[in-house]
Amino acid sequence: MSALPRFFSDYQQRVSAELGRLLPQRDGAVERAMRYTALAPSKQVRAVVTLSCADLCGAPAERAVPAAAAIELVHAASLILDDLPSMDDAPLRRGRRANHLEFGEAIAILAAFGLLNLAFGTLARAHDPPLAGRLAALTSGAVGPDGLIGGQALDLLATERGIDFEMLERIHRGKTGALFVAAATSGALIAGAGPDAIAALAAYAKNLGLAFQIIDDLLDVEGDPAETGKAVRADARKTTFVSFSGLDGARQLALELCATADRALAPFGARADRLRELSAFVAARRL
Amino acid sequence: MTTPDVDELRRRLRALGYLDAGVDRFVLAPARASRGPAVLAALASVRVGVLAALLLGPAAAIGLGARLPGLVTGVRDAAVLAVYLGVLFGAAMAGVSLAVSFIVRAIFRSPAALAGVRARRFAFAAGALVTIAALAYLTLWWRTANAGFGWRAPAATALALVVAVAISLLLGHAVRIATLGVLAAAAPAAAGPRAMKHSWTLNVAAGALAFAGAAVLLVWAAPAEPVAARPPLTVVPTGLHVRVIAIDGVDSAILQQLADGGRLPSLAAAIAKSRAALAPEDTRDPARAWTTVATGTLPDVHGVASLETRRVAGVRGRLAAASGGTADVIRAATDLLRLTRPAVVSREQRRVKTIWEAAADAGLRTAVVNWWASWPAPPDSGIVVTDRAILRLERGGALDAEIAPASLYTALRAAWPSLRERARAQAAGAFDAIADRETQTVLTRSAELDATLAGIAAALPGPPRDLDVLYLPGLDIAQHTLLAATEPAAAAPSVIAARLDALRSYYVFVDRLVTPIAAPAEGELVMLVTEPGRVERPGPGTLAAAGRTVAPAHAVEAAAVDVAPTVLHALGVPLSRELAGHAVLAFFDGSFAARYPIRFVATYGPPSSTNESRRGQPLDQEMIDRLRSLGYVR
Repeated sequence: MSALPRFFSDYQQRVSAELGRLLPQRDGAVERAMRYTALAPSKQVRAVVTLSCADLCGAPAERAVPAAAAIELVHAASLILDDLPSMDDAPLRRGRRANHLEFGEAIAILAAFGLLNLAFGTLARAHDPPLAGRLAALTSGAVGPDGLIGGQALDLLATERGIDFEMLERIHRGKTGALFVAAATSGALIAGAGPDAIAALAAYAKNLGLAFQIIDDLLDVEGDPAETGKAVRADARKTTFVSFSGLDGARQLALELCATADRALAPFGARADRLRELSAFVAARRL
Repeated sequence: MTTPDVDELRRRLRALGYLDAGVDRFVLAPARASRGPAVLAALASVRVGVLAALLLGPAAAIGLGARLPGLVTGVRDAAVLAVYLGVLFGAAMAGVSLAVSFIVRAIFRSPAALAGVRARRFAFAAGALVTIAALAYLTLWWRTANAGFGWRAPAATALALVVAVAISLLLGHAVRIATLGVLAAAAPAAAGPRAMKHSWTLNVAAGALAFAGAAVLLVWAAPAEPVAARPPLTVVPTGLHVRVIAIDGVDSAILQQLADGGRLPSLAAAIAKSRAALAPEDTRDPARAWTTVATGTLPDVHGVASLETRRVAGVRGRLAAASGGTADVIRAATDLLRLTRPAVVSREQRRVKTIWEAAADAGLRTAVVNWWASWPAPPDSGIVVTDRAILRLERGGALDAEIAPASLYTALRAAWPSLRERARAQAAGAFDAIADRETQTVLTRSAELDATLAGIAAALPGPPRDLDVLYLPGLDIAQHTLLAATEPAAAAPSVIAARLDALRSYYVFVDRLVTPIAAPAEGELVMLVTEPGRVERPGPGTLAAAGRTVAPAHAVEAAAVDVAPTVLHALGVPLSRELAGHAVLAFFDGSFAARYPIRFVATYGPPSSTNESRRGQPLDQEMIDRLRSLGYVR
């Protein structure tokens, strides 16, 4: 089992604290459902990407914490929706029963919308209007038909059907890559980075996102539910990278994507070592 | 061990912008932000231009350096030129990319059309066109840069073509990607890039096809005659010491008239025995005309197109002022950008050897004084007192290759006061009979210059030489000042007639000046070469020979390019087949012709590129000022 990079814990604590502050504390079903998924044990990789990119581009981490939390809220919402019976019908998530199994389908859907709503509200409140507008537009793009929603729609259509490689990439780009890119770009935007830096970090996140998803595909085949926190072989009905290249080929491609992500960081030199640690973690992860 | 599937997936991921799609990321970086198609097209095109500048600038600098000798004198010049050309090519390629993007946007207006296959094919076609254009240019560049040896150096040529193919494919790809980026920005729904339906096999096949096309182009564009290797020059010693006296501004009719009248005894003797009329040249430019004389080749071969050149800011080399083609384009562009300033033609522009350089290569002892475009003096061509030597001797300071060998500078500098004093003494009183003071001043100034040059020639140390060459510009300077540069108000017939009379007295002065060297001693051959100078209607020049081995010859027709082969043949140096002229055999008596038949070599090779010590401050501006004061440049 690969260990999380050491710098993760500081970022995770900040993001968790922010999530705890942001999430509604009332004891209603929706509020509990929101907290159930959003505060469940998680690596918070996307939030760490946001904070690392902000730090790399010269912004103090606390400035980017609200945006990092917003990214995590969006991700949590997507997980709830993803696990619904009408979607992937997954029983296990983050080591717990899926949200809809715990609170019922209707509450789970409302909790997902609540988390999304909270994410956009957080962005609007945390930053000045011009930056808040850009971050909201960026997040909206990552959630919308060109992002999570589009990827999930294609995924549903593709289930139990043969799809080609380009379609698989579009699914992964929407479901995983879009939010990774939005996470990296958010951090850079908050730090006021220039177009070249943003482009380099977006390239990093794009390659890392796909590598992350390929490793997910691998863990679905050969992972341990006790480690991954979700059911294995849940994607057996789906076409994955493993379907195209086999286990060894998929792992090799993931490693190459991580190496490419690292090369995109070349303009930053040693300052980007944390992001390199992150890609090394993704390449070796077992959870 | 990778499976074939992984290779295929890796390729398709690359096509989708993952892995090593560095160029795509670079070109499309502006697309990361939300931008309209027009802004994206502009920004992406700028990046395509940057790529083109980085790839084509250095390549073009090398090609231009080979095409325009004298422009690149070192690494610094090449670097500055690469920057200029990089900017030029970068701007051009950015313009092409922008135009293609706008055209594709104009043609495919609806979102459906933008997302359609035709739009992508159009982008592909645009990229392919750019690839073909870049490959054709780079192939022709290679042909120029390597002086046409092409496939006779197969390894280097194959490597160059592989690099050219790679650069061209990269630029074409960049343009295609920029266009696709604009399409995606215009129709976000179609933004999902699709992997192109090609494979490694197809890529390799395209590369091989491009390579084959470039190879065919290289063969097709190769010069008809291969460039010959430079063989060693073997002299068959004729025992002759040849002295060439070149006088500019001579009207052949006046020369004959004065000689017939007995006023020019020395020159009359020089032209009495054997004489040829040189066909009029189509130029009034002295550097161009006299370089033709000295090299035996035409201007398009010897490369000295005009006295006045341009110096491009930051580049030590020079650009000919009127040589046509590429040079004209570069000059116009750099003039427009105020990147040039006037300069004087130099040896660095000359692409072929002069008679003294060829003779020195053959192991003969040579000396030349004051020939046009002889600066900077090479260290390996005997004694060279260049056209800038007078300036250096006047001003002193460290030598900047004005005189070779460098040790000669010390001797001439020490003798300079006495040389000048003697020259003034020779000129003084020569024109006292002329009533007009202004005319008298003009003639005296020219006479002092000629006398100084003749004095330098006479003061050259060392053992007897096989070849001495002296160029006297005074008559041309005087003639030009008195006639061609005359103010309209002073152009009354009586004034002109008086000045023509005064010029006749200058012929007499020159005759006296050359008396010690015009009469051939035993074993000497004196060759007199004249050109009409900067006159409105160029007339014939004169080539005359005097000496024991000279046969009587009159009414011989010759050309300026015949002077060099005639001199070299007299010295026993084989003639290069690259010479445009022929030795005037009518000048040589039967026994000489029988003992020394003309021999040929393929080439003398290019002039030496190494210069004599250049520690001193170049006298560029001083040279311009001097030539301006003498009426050579405006």
